[in-house]
Amino acid sequence: MEYSEAELLAVLLAREVRDGEISACGALSQIPAAGLLLAGELHAPNAEIIILHSAFDPFRTSRQFHYLAQRGEMGLFFVSGVQIDRHGNYNLHQLGADPERPRARFPGGYGGGMIYYAARRTVVFRTEHTRRSLVERVDFVSAAGATPPDVLRRGHPSKVVTPKAAFRFDKDAAVLKLDTIHPPWTLDDIRANTGFELDVKGAIPATPAPTEEELHVLRHVIRRRMIDTGTYAAWAQQSLGN
Amino acid sequence: MGVPYVPVLGLVGTDLLKRRDDMVIAVDPFDGKTRTVVAKAMRPDVAAFHAQKADRHGNVSCGYEAEVVMLAEASRHVIVTAETIVERLTEKEAAGAFVPGIHVDTVAHAPFGAHPAGCAGLYGPDKVHMAQYVAASRDDASFDEYLRTYVFDVKDHDEYVERFVPRHWRDPARAASG
Repeated sequence: MEYSEAELLAVLLAREVRDGEISACGALSQIPAAGLLLAGELHAPNAEIIILHSAFDPFRTSRQFHYLAQRGEMGLFFVSGVQIDRHGNYNLHQLGADPERPRARFPGGYGGGMIYYAARRTVVFRTEHTRRSLVERVDFVSAAGATPPDVLRRGHPSKVVTPKAAFRFDKDAAVLKLDTIHPPWTLDDIRANTGFELDVKGAIPATPAPTEEELHVLRHVIRRRMIDTGTYAAWAQQSLGN
Repeated sequence: MGVPYVPVLGLVGTDLLKRRDDMVIAVDPFDGKTRTVVAKAMRPDVAAFHAQKADRHGNVSCGYEAEVVMLAEASRHVIVTAETIVERLTEKEAAGAFVPGIHVDTVAHAPFGAHPAGCAGLYGPDKVHMAQYVAASRDDASFDEYLRTYVFDVKDHDEYVERFVPRHWRDPARAASG
């Protein structure tokens, strides 16, 4: 079955949601929003789904969201970054070697610097898998993948998902390890497009393709729900099922 | 709030921490070992914000966006602009996010005072203006031009509203519902 990159990513993010947990995404997160709703419709009917600044947002202030996360009640959160590095650090602040004169500036890590440490699992998603987005060392650490054991921390990044592959974060080694490759991409493609050493031993399994059921529910039930509830409605209309 | 500092979960290992001298890593004084960031309290001299409704006694109702309440509680002086000023806020009007007048120095009447941002419950952001703002932010010259047009060369708030708030926002039916 044919599917777009956005649909593939939404399905892969949905699979990270566990039933019964609180799972959330923040601003400008249309793909995770679709993934969260898809998981709720399929394997996680008892998951509490939070899409900030939407009809699926129980909070009135960001403080209320922060307090919930700080208590360790957030099971899963989705973030993105302009750069992600081998050690699970991500950058949402700025690009360029000189921090005083950045080449480009981004919105910054408003809640990310807290949520990356507070959510039990954070899945980092990136719609671009290239050597400029997946790097050896980010230009600016907005949130750190690993911290010393005596630092207060309730959770860690668990995965990085791109249109080409998924990495899992090895907490003890504090490095990203290639987990699965999305067909038709090959290990050579991933190596050519990743800015850090993959350190691969043995064969890397293929990512199970989106099933007919996942795509059907995403394109019909979830697309409709996003449009009806004004949750990234224009994006859903354009990007799902076309 | 009046506290000297607050513990903050997260931020350890970030470059943000390297660039701020008001946040440091400290050891939990109770267990003597867990490390966490503590942030020095901000004590603003003046807080200025826009609200939906205020009264003659300085009481302010900020709809449901309660973050400014904390700002008012932390600052030495508080200046509020409001869409509407009434004689006395009713119990119902004061039920949401509320700043008691004792914190507030001055209240000024400024309809559409949040423009080009939105004022929750009354109007959303002016997306056309926001796009211009973003484009103007690209370099110093275009941003200077923006400031000249919308700030320095504008006599007062009434002139700003007249010239820059979309006309259809200001029709009487809409104003009455505010």
